[in-house]
Amino acid sequence: MKQKYILRGCVLMVLVLCTGRLFAADQCIACHAGVVGDKPSALFKHDIHFAKRISCADCHGGNPKAEEMEAAMNPKQGFKGVPKGDAISQVCARCHSDSTKMKTYGAALPTNQWGNLQTSAHGKLSTTGKEHIAQCITCHNAHGIVSVKNPASPVYPLNVVKTCSKCHANAAFMRTYNPSLPIDQAEKYRTSVHGALNAKGDPKPAVCSSCHGSHDIRTSKDAKSSVYPVNMPVTCSKCHSDAQYMAKYRIPTNQYDKFAKSVHGVALLRKHDVGAPSCNSCHGNHGATPPGVESVSKVCGTCHALNADLFSASPHKKAFDDRKLPECETCHSNHEIVTATDTLLGVAPEAVCSRCHQESQNPKGYAIAKTMRQLNDSLALSGSVATALVNEAEQKGMEVTEAKFKLRDARQAHLQMRTMVHAFNEDKFREVINKGMAAASFAKVEAKDAIDEYYFRRIGLGVSTLIITILSIALFLYIRRIEKKQV
Amino acid sequence: MKNTFKKIYAWVDERLELQDLIKFMAKKYVPVHSHSIWYYFGGVSLFLFIIQVVTGILLLMYYKGSEGLAFESIQFIMSKVAFGWLIRSVHSWTANLFILTAMIHMFSVYFEKAYRKPRELTWLSGMLMLFLLLGFGFTGYLLPWNELAFFATKVGTEISGAVPVIGKPIMEFMRGGDDVTGATLSRLFGFHVAVLPGIFTVLLGLHLLLVQRQGMSEPSHYTDQPERERKTMPFFPNFFLRDVLFWLVVLNLIAILAVFFPWELGVKADPFASAPAGIKPEWYFLFMFQTLKYIPAKVWFIDGEVLGILAFGLAGMLWMMVPFWDRKSSRGEQNRFINYIGLFVVMFIIVLTIVGWLA
Repeated sequence: MKQKYILRGCVLMVLVLCTGRLFAADQCIACHAGVVGDKPSALFKHDIHFAKRISCADCHGGNPKAEEMEAAMNPKQGFKGVPKGDAISQVCARCHSDSTKMKTYGAALPTNQWGNLQTSAHGKLSTTGKEHIAQCITCHNAHGIVSVKNPASPVYPLNVVKTCSKCHANAAFMRTYNPSLPIDQAEKYRTSVHGALNAKGDPKPAVCSSCHGSHDIRTSKDAKSSVYPVNMPVTCSKCHSDAQYMAKYRIPTNQYDKFAKSVHGVALLRKHDVGAPSCNSCHGNHGATPPGVESVSKVCGTCHALNADLFSASPHKKAFDDRKLPECETCHSNHEIVTATDTLLGVAPEAVCSRCHQESQNPKGYAIAKTMRQLNDSLALSGSVATALVNEAEQKGMEVTEAKFKLRDARQAHLQMRTMVHAFNEDKFREVINKGMAAASFAKVEAKDAIDEYYFRRIGLGVSTLIITILSIALFLYIRRIEKKQV
Repeated sequence: MKNTFKKIYAWVDERLELQDLIKFMAKKYVPVHSHSIWYYFGGVSLFLFIIQVVTGILLLMYYKGSEGLAFESIQFIMSKVAFGWLIRSVHSWTANLFILTAMIHMFSVYFEKAYRKPRELTWLSGMLMLFLLLGFGFTGYLLPWNELAFFATKVGTEISGAVPVIGKPIMEFMRGGDDVTGATLSRLFGFHVAVLPGIFTVLLGLHLLLVQRQGMSEPSHYTDQPERERKTMPFFPNFFLRDVLFWLVVLNLIAILAVFFPWELGVKADPFASAPAGIKPEWYFLFMFQTLKYIPAKVWFIDGEVLGILAFGLAGMLWMMVPFWDRKSSRGEQNRFINYIGLFVVMFIIVLTIVGWLA
């Protein structure tokens, strides 16, 4: 026990001596902490730079060994005072952009932060027009800087949202840069699954920097941004496809693979159609959370508005809600939504209707599903016959513009029918089908007439050519006869 | 039946004295020689002109000469009007054949030196009709208001605009403004159906009158023969019936072309769309278009395009004035120089047209 106290006493003595030696070497701390007692010097004692024996003068200039204030803070001795504007970040960059220097401190940090910051959204000029919007100290603090892994750091995962919100939740401040940018990201974040876990002290769920990046933050409209629609699925998948990282949350990690194969994924990732939905289109971005069973149709309805409206007014809405079936997802799946084909409709084994509407248990629904499929097939068949006839007439060189217009109407009706199916109402469905059938019939008649006309022209040509040829021969013989007489 | 015809003929003859006309025509003789075939191209050109007038009038019954309706009206003619497709195709094919036969007729007259005294005015009226014919082609091309015609007219009027001093006013006059618009369509439509046919009919009347008055030209190789060896045939009925026979053959050809290769309508013109690749004028302007492509952008200090247009203008003028500077042929002497020039021009037109077509 006695030995333990002696050991502790020795350690304390060493610490006191070391600190004393340091303070003795750096007169800045000696005065500012000992005499003035200001906050920066108090914070600096906990700063990682202080631990790495970087002195105040390394950033502020001057002579840290001079005992007299006039000598220590003499501009002739290189004293710069408090750096302003971009000079702040340039001071940090002197070491943080120099990999050799960083190695001397034993740091394995990247050295591209200042470069990234300059090209980022925060690197744009501030309202004064003289400096970047954000400097290093805006997020990392000036004195008392600690490692990002240190829970005391303002950029530690549990603190990031608060740090970013200092500006991004400040309406007056944000208005000066982008009045249309929302300022409720932090509030939404707190309602998200990520935010809820973060609030419980879990540093793993996504925070602002997980999706937006840190030094290289770009606006969501910038194609290089990690939150640009095309890049969004990859950004989310960095965590959500990492089975090991996600293990403790017990949720699937195959969403990205499924999404990439889906009609939305193909449009977004392969065709680079930025109008196609990305992860955040359905889950929200800052308030990311899986949509509830009842709200699926509303979520899908942000794009598929008509389908959603028809579904909400249909008898299926109540039936789905009662059975706790997720609305659109029940028939179309969620992440792996493929292009809807006619096979989804009807009572065949591959049709989705037959999953609930079986002949024995639900004969009425079964009959309607069967009829709707038959009507659909009739329109599809009629359309394809009309298309073939119109193509044939066109290949024969006939003028079939009007028939082609009608074909377009028939195709339009087929598309309308696919929407109308969500009303699950046979009468409304039949009305659209009839419209399409009428257009297809018209096109068929027009095309048939054109084909008949084609053959009529050929027969007509044959007859007229024959008449003209006979006339020519007769004339030739007549000329010969009169010329013989003349001789 | 025969008696009925005789009665009708007698009735008309009594009033119009047809016998005198038949006697006049029967007295008219056409020289018969190894190059007589070329005489028929004048007649067939007249026949094609008649077809153009008849089909043109029929098309006028449905065609609407405005930017918003022109394309649709042709579409209607092609698909809804009874035999509208035939009338339009015949009109388009005949227009092209007309220019072809008129050119053949012109070159045959040139090589036979039929322009020499006393037929200078016949040549001049013929040349003017050929130019008008090209005008018919140019003005008629835009009327369907399709994409190709729109941009070809744009290029065509732009080329004329390159002529110094008078070019720009001519271009604006043709376009009815700075650019090819609905105003251009109305203007060219007016020219196509009223102005040009009016002038053409007057010239055609003069041309036919002169031909009737002066008779068929006799080439030197024919007149060099002793008079008793010179063969002739009566204009009526022999030459006239042969003419009709040729017309029937051409009519058959037109019918076949109209049925097997109906004139396409294309896509409606969109003034805001960019010009499709490979815009070319009609074949009869192709040799000039292709030549302009080969001329460097600047020749000494003159703009290449301007130089080309001026050169074509000068060549056309010299060609038209050939009866006045080819004095040798008028004196009945041989002038091989004229033949060499003619051969060069024919080869130039054929080669450049083929190159332009394949380009």
